[in-house]
Amino acid sequence: MPDLARYGSLEAAILACAKGDRMALRAIYQAESARLLGIAFRMLKRRAAAEDVVQDTFLTLWEQAHRFDGRAGYGRAWLTTLLRNRTLNVLRGETRLDLVEDFEPLGLETPGESAEDTMTRLSEESALKRCLEGLEEARRKIILLAFTEGLSHGEIAARLGTPLGTVKSWVRRSLLSLKECMG
Amino acid sequence: MTRLSDELEALAGEYALGTLEATDRSRAEALAATNPAFREALIAWQLRLAPLDDTASPMVPLPTLWSRIESLIPLHDPKSARGARPSRLTALWESLGFWRPLGLASGLAGLVLAVALAMTIARGPLKPEYVAVLNTGDGRAAAVVNVYADGTVNLIPLEDIAVPQGRIIEVWTLQRREQGPVSVGRLDRARSLKLDLKNLGKPEANHLFELTLEPRGGSPTGKPTGPILMKGLAARSI
Repeated sequence: MPDLARYGSLEAAILACAKGDRMALRAIYQAESARLLGIAFRMLKRRAAAEDVVQDTFLTLWEQAHRFDGRAGYGRAWLTTLLRNRTLNVLRGETRLDLVEDFEPLGLETPGESAEDTMTRLSEESALKRCLEGLEEARRKIILLAFTEGLSHGEIAARLGTPLGTVKSWVRRSLLSLKECMG
Repeated sequence: MTRLSDELEALAGEYALGTLEATDRSRAEALAATNPAFREALIAWQLRLAPLDDTASPMVPLPTLWSRIESLIPLHDPKSARGARPSRLTALWESLGFWRPLGLASGLAGLVLAVALAMTIARGPLKPEYVAVLNTGDGRAAAVVNVYADGTVNLIPLEDIAVPQGRIIEVWTLQRREQGPVSVGRLDRARSLKLDLKNLGKPEANHLFELTLEPRGGSPTGKPTGPILMKGLAARSI
């Protein structure tokens, strides 16, 4: 069983993939696939679609590993960004075919897990949690829905019954406050 | 490092958050490739928000997933193994291809379906530019939408539709998710109908058409409220 520890770090394993080391890819898969599938499933709400996205993510990782700059501590975020971008492409209709197969009524989505539930899962020590708590509840909810479910401005506006312009300006201002707070 | 304007800082933040629309996403990607301060801001945002990804419950993939990946790897050799290796400094961001990886499985499936639909349906003297086959929940083709070059859009039912007393059929199209579904016609029973898209863009590939049951007079909310009778995506004919 390949082990990420053998490479020293996720970053080193990604760089090994760039050299064509298949065991490195397998090691990353062992260490990260369940976490990545969980993230994709939370956004897509369908297991088969989420597994497709994870598959594409690992193929992209294999193909694009040479573009990773090896920056310490950035490997996970880099890999997650591959997954998130792919997932957002699916959600935003690049491959809307999948959504049709589900036959879910348009615009009648039910809210997923609550934003406050996400908050309780953040580590008590995390600066992100402390700074999110500093936002007004409605604004915090928008940030959490956007990130965890991949909702667009328009979808958030529809879900919360808030005007689109308000959602857009709240997102912007909330992000700037978060940056101010987290540094 | 130069401090970014609030506008660019928010753009970087929204990129990491995932709320940007296509044009702004492309703009952010282009900026990341050319502006080191923006690139750093974007990475900082990815790292700031990363703890939220860890709140998703992990889900162990089916054992077949790794086999699928492994079987596809030979088709996807690392670029570095094929020679020319770009500088690492800018390489990560230099290509939009990095951010918009090929839709490996799903993209191909879409193409195959589009070709199949066009070959099956787009025959006859006047050829529609786009065709949508609308399927019922159990997968029967129950209507076709044809989009002609002059902007005419017709709905042609392929089977009868049971419409309960006091209800009508409303036809919707979804062109952009931000805009949501828009009503383009109403029917009291299954019959051919010219759809009214004059306040919308011309239909394109992957625009959605669907029929729902609504109260007489149409949906009270302006959005679909009743059960979906059928739906399907437009595909370009060949």
